[in-house]
Amino acid sequence: MTAAALAAASPPRARFRLDYWVGGAAIAALIVLIVLPLLSLFWGSIAAQDGLTLGYFARVVTNRLYYQALFNSLTLGAWTGLFSLLIGVPLAWAVVRTDLPGRGFVKLTATLSYLSPPFLLAIAYVNLFSPRAGVINAFLRGALPGHDFTFNIFSMPGLVLVTVPHAFPFVYLLAASALASVDASYEESAQILGAGKLRTALSVTLPLVAPAILAGTLIGFVNAIALFGSQAIIGLPARIFTLPTRIYALFNYPPQYGLASALSLIFVALTVAALSLQRAYLARRSFVTLSGKGSRPQRLSLGPWRWPLFGFCALVFLVAILLPYGSLLAVSLSKSWGLAFWKNLTLANYAFVLFQYDVTQRAILNSLLLASLAATASVALGAAIGWIDLRTAMKGRRVLDYVSLVPLGLPGIVMAAALIQFWLKTPVPLYGSLAILFLAYCARYLPLGVRAANTALRQIDPSLEESARILGASWGETMREVTLPLMRGSLFAGWILVFVPAIQELSASILLFSSKSMTVAVAVYNLYENGYIEPVAALALINAAIIAAAIWLANRVGGASRVASPA
Amino acid sequence: MAQIEIEHLTKRYHGGEAANAAVADLSLAIEAGAFVTLLGPSGCGKTTTLRLIAGYLTPDAGSIAVAGRVLSSPQSVLPPEERGMGMVFQNYAVWPHKTVFENVVFGLKIRRVAAAEARTRVARMLDLVNLSGLESRYPGELSGGQQQRVALARSLVVEPTILLLDEPLSNLDAKLRERMRMELKQLQRRTGITFVYVTHDQAEALALSDRIAVMHQGRLQQYGTPREVYRRPANRVVADFMGLVNLFPAEIRQNGAGLVVTAGPLELALDLPPGMGAGDKVDLAIRPESIRLKAPQGAGEPGLRGLIEEHTYLGNLTEYVVALGPLRLRVQAGPELDLAPGSEALLSIDAARCKVFGGRE
Repeated sequence: MTAAALAAASPPRARFRLDYWVGGAAIAALIVLIVLPLLSLFWGSIAAQDGLTLGYFARVVTNRLYYQALFNSLTLGAWTGLFSLLIGVPLAWAVVRTDLPGRGFVKLTATLSYLSPPFLLAIAYVNLFSPRAGVINAFLRGALPGHDFTFNIFSMPGLVLVTVPHAFPFVYLLAASALASVDASYEESAQILGAGKLRTALSVTLPLVAPAILAGTLIGFVNAIALFGSQAIIGLPARIFTLPTRIYALFNYPPQYGLASALSLIFVALTVAALSLQRAYLARRSFVTLSGKGSRPQRLSLGPWRWPLFGFCALVFLVAILLPYGSLLAVSLSKSWGLAFWKNLTLANYAFVLFQYDVTQRAILNSLLLASLAATASVALGAAIGWIDLRTAMKGRRVLDYVSLVPLGLPGIVMAAALIQFWLKTPVPLYGSLAILFLAYCARYLPLGVRAANTALRQIDPSLEESARILGASWGETMREVTLPLMRGSLFAGWILVFVPAIQELSASILLFSSKSMTVAVAVYNLYENGYIEPVAALALINAAIIAAAIWLANRVGGASRVASPA
Repeated sequence: MAQIEIEHLTKRYHGGEAANAAVADLSLAIEAGAFVTLLGPSGCGKTTTLRLIAGYLTPDAGSIAVAGRVLSSPQSVLPPEERGMGMVFQNYAVWPHKTVFENVVFGLKIRRVAAAEARTRVARMLDLVNLSGLESRYPGELSGGQQQRVALARSLVVEPTILLLDEPLSNLDAKLRERMRMELKQLQRRTGITFVYVTHDQAEALALSDRIAVMHQGRLQQYGTPREVYRRPANRVVADFMGLVNLFPAEIRQNGAGLVVTAGPLELALDLPPGMGAGDKVDLAIRPESIRLKAPQGAGEPGLRGLIEEHTYLGNLTEYVVALGPLRLRVQAGPELDLAPGSEALLSIDAARCKVFGGRE
């Protein structure tokens, strides 16, 4: 009788293991996106006409052209890291731990700086501080004749200036979250034992959050040295070559793949070293988050000191947001930058870039298409990898996870160099197509997708899936009915997190685009190269507007959706 | 024939040695319609056993057969979704993004039950677990007890022949736990479904089960009715786990015609397991309720005299720690007896209800 009941309860099914297929597809995607291009890069750095050679590496470390680029990148990274620390930490402390007025405004400053396209800032500051035509320089010369208070943007300090606003948000974000997660009881127990506020801050709070701050600084460093746009716009006129711009130059005709590969690998080594240091610091941070039972951190009453601190925050806003965006807006509305502003107002630049310059529309469409596809693909792939890693006992699943994080250590231009070398070796004519840009974006932003999926899956207790299985649901049905709906909020956030950088991607696109596969950021860069100051400003603002619209839309949709948290 | 037959089941994690296997050589037969509890401290392998029965895990050795058909063996494991069982999880595992109705109807949808029939079956089941009227609520709006009942209804609505329950009451507060305990028992009787229930709470196991499988360090220690397991524990591990017990190192001695067990000033004549003889070192187990305490009427009254060291008033009874030579005995007495620490008490021990366990060096 029980046998009959059991047979009725479980009709025999055809064994189609959807989970195996999804897992297999994820592995194949990782191999094509990351493993094979990287191997091509390695191969390119040691392959000679006849056999193997270390000659490319030898030339890279002995020729001034190349080691100078490494040195410049390190200098830029170090200064940027230092200033990011000096800006990020006070801002984070002010927002999380003090009664500073306008804390929301400080938060907004950090968020906007993070979201701004880095090349946009560089272009804006050229308009303000180029040695002769920069309006502020011109103003200073006029106001103080005989004294030279001008600032030449085409210099290392100039490069640091336009890079820091993109790097300090990393320090800010990590420091703020660490400060917020330090359980107030740690500090209260120091105080009850007789330590004063300052003593408590220095002996309890600071050691607890220091690893997070250092980790943030290192991420800022890694991101700063990878930015092609600002280093080309500011660095090239100043004859300051950095790793991305030097690698870029090596792809000029005739391309020197061997040298480019060797230099790329050195760049990767530098990035990976910084990131492993960062991981080590972050691992030490775990004891902060473990305790977090949502206790309210104490807020320090600043008294009269709140105004200097507020002034500091306002200065950051001025430099990172107001000056660049204000000047770009002004330039984009001028017939010719530098002439009497109010008499020269025009919308002609917008009309030009949107309707006459035939590249723009195609570039906007391409960028929208690429960013949406890449965001979807990297989140989907991330979900598959995260699921395999966290929910199966598959052999080698940790390897899968590691490989998917490899792109964190690959600067955009290196990713592009690797993809070019791999696809040129295959008979598939991908080079110069939208497809190769799509692959580059997918690979670059895959770690964001994996992270979003991991966060989501860690919040979903496996029993929620198991209970669907025992009720008779197949893997596919469980995914559709339980897992994916529960992951939706996090995956959507991950999608936006990929979309925003993808729509402004320049570092990889600059090596991969063709006139057919033009993207917005490349169009901006090309226009700038050709000296169209005013239309460039208009197009850069259009790019920023697309980002703003995407985020607005995300908040609308994301806010409306019911993001359920599991029991 | 038993409904579930587990034979020589072994499961190791991380390729460890057999010595620290999560489940080691477990054999168990569970009858159809029985309420069987896997009982033991955390880490004893009871949840692993349950997950093996459900098909979430692959055994390293042994097999699990249901109704004569082998479902799990190291070679092949029928996936959970094809076993037609139900499972209730410790954390309820009620889907937070589905309403009560959507949660309960899920298994019927998977089985392609017609919508109208599904609706009546869900309604009937919600009625059975006293959740009628809450169909459109989300789990976040329900109490823990209500969520647990949603989980039960969700498992039962598909009419499984076997329901697996993994510490389903441990997240509820004491009062609710007791009420749900009764409801579970009634539900099992009414539906006739085989319940395999995992808990670390011996009181819960005693109250609910037809049979209890006591597990320790991956091994089955004893399998029997609640009465057997409590009154005649198979070894000191079971005796120690099933409620309060006084355990003393003791020795068997010849006393005239018979053998007695001695520990300190105690000398008890009791039924010894076969094979024990004078000179054997053993453990003596005395349950607190097998000891009677009373206040001595006079200095000369004969009997075993102990000294009250501590007393703890628990309302319905009072617990004493009584010093008897080098021994410290925990004794429970009714509320009418009130002995102050430092006073003397007379003890009488029901030797028939004491147990000895061998195997001590």
